[in-house]
Amino acid sequence: MSIMKFDAVKIGDTLGPQEIHLSKDQVRTYARTCGMDVPRFTDDEGARAEGLPGMIAPGNMSLGMLSRLVTDWIGQSGARLARLGTTYRQPVQPGHTITLNGFVTHVEPAEKRVEIDVWIENEDAERLVIGTASVEFP
Amino acid sequence: MATILDLHSHSEASEDSRAPLEAYLNWIKLRHKERPVDGIVLTEHRQFNASPDYRALEDKFGLMVLKASEVETDYGHMLVFGVTDEMTRRFDFANVRLNAQELIDEVGRMGGVAVPCHPGRPTVGLYEHYAVKPPLQNVVAVEVLNGGSRKGEDDRSMELVHKYGYRAVGGSDSHLVSLIALCATRFEADIRSIEDLVRELKEGKYEPVDFRPKRKPVPAAVPDEVRHNGG
Amino acid sequence: MAVDYDPALIGKVFEVTDPVNVSAEDIGKFCTAISETNPLYTDEAAAKKGAYGGIVAPPSFAVTFRNGRHFFTHVPRFGRAGFDAGKDVEFRAPIRPGDKITLSSHVKEIYEKTGRSGSMVFVVVRSTVQNQNGEVVAHIDHRFMNRP
Repeated sequence: MSIMKFDAVKIGDTLGPQEIHLSKDQVRTYARTCGMDVPRFTDDEGARAEGLPGMIAPGNMSLGMLSRLVTDWIGQSGARLARLGTTYRQPVQPGHTITLNGFVTHVEPAEKRVEIDVWIENEDAERLVIGTASVEFP
Repeated sequence: MATILDLHSHSEASEDSRAPLEAYLNWIKLRHKERPVDGIVLTEHRQFNASPDYRALEDKFGLMVLKASEVETDYGHMLVFGVTDEMTRRFDFANVRLNAQELIDEVGRMGGVAVPCHPGRPTVGLYEHYAVKPPLQNVVAVEVLNGGSRKGEDDRSMELVHKYGYRAVGGSDSHLVSLIALCATRFEADIRSIEDLVRELKEGKYEPVDFRPKRKPVPAAVPDEVRHNGG
Repeated sequence: MAVDYDPALIGKVFEVTDPVNVSAEDIGKFCTAISETNPLYTDEAAAKKGAYGGIVAPPSFAVTFRNGRHFFTHVPRFGRAGFDAGKDVEFRAPIRPGDKITLSSHVKEIYEKTGRSGSMVFVVVRSTVQNQNGEVVAHIDHRFMNRP
């Protein structure tokens, strides 16, 4: 749901939930497009050789998905994503459904800035990636 | 008069947390019906900050803010309540290999209490260490409900409670504003200070409480034969 | 027993990259890779009417300049495997087709902690991302996790 005006934003407003079924091909495409054509992001056997459970999505891809969650929420309101911080807690593995979520946690009227919690969870509601975003409205 | 406290939380002072204290308190106010806590304890990683005075925020939100630490030992992570200067001189809180038995005993002697946290978590929880080393002496309580636990970890913590008779606490282990107070501890007594908290942890009555929303149960897969027979 | 490293490392710029050209095609391929359909990033006609007056790259494009094949040189390592533990990005200005992007990087912090998977040493590298006009496009704090 796109938000249009700063005044309409309230603490507790949600972003998402956005369900993504992440496929291996999507992960490979991202990895290859971004110069990350290495085994851990493209090949299960290669990833296991590095001690991983199987091929994983690059952290940058998780950052990209969370960034898109926020820019989709911003829509055409003219606001901009000013800051995004992420912590990768567990590998994000393709072949699973992940859900992206967000909550508005703070509204700063003096700066027309909104703070948002964002995270990616797996099918067991475990948080694989957590982060926060700052959005500035015009 | 009972007191409910989230005993385990991290603000921006912890390097991996992204939550300003005021935003935590505001969120609790917003969600007070679902998370009816009277306050929180900040348990920052590997440090103790004695100086910040949170009275203005406490008054503004009508919530208690107490200060403690989460340190790292040779038996996993521990929450240290009732931190004093004497303790921070004796133990380097930034050391990730503190001696757990010494910590428990000397913190206790110095008027505080050290509580192993997330004991069911791999590597940094008591459970795995007990599998290969003698159990610690003088453990008062362990954290059986931790908001960051993965499947099965809190169950493993409960095994320690059953086996060793430890008391049980709960805390959110929150690193994000919206996760504060999802797990907490309900004390029978009235707690107004860190001294009260330490006394109650050592001698009082308390239990972990779970304020996480109940998830819709995932429908179990129906085996083919049952489906085809209209079972 | 603290982590062993040369304190003179901290704050010293260890790398300034050669400029990398960003084309409209690069931005288009990146949008496809992240299934991005927002017209601000994909549709020239719509983007012209938007806040930036033309197509810009999605914000997360800013972190793609230093990774994988083009990993940082001279970042202190502390043993086996390095993993991306997270990034903090401050977005200052958009990246546009035709931009030439450089990164200037220094080690901001090194610290140790223990977690589920064992003992870890974190190296935080701060990069300032600039375009050909000397404008800061972004600041990125990269957190790398090493297992000693």
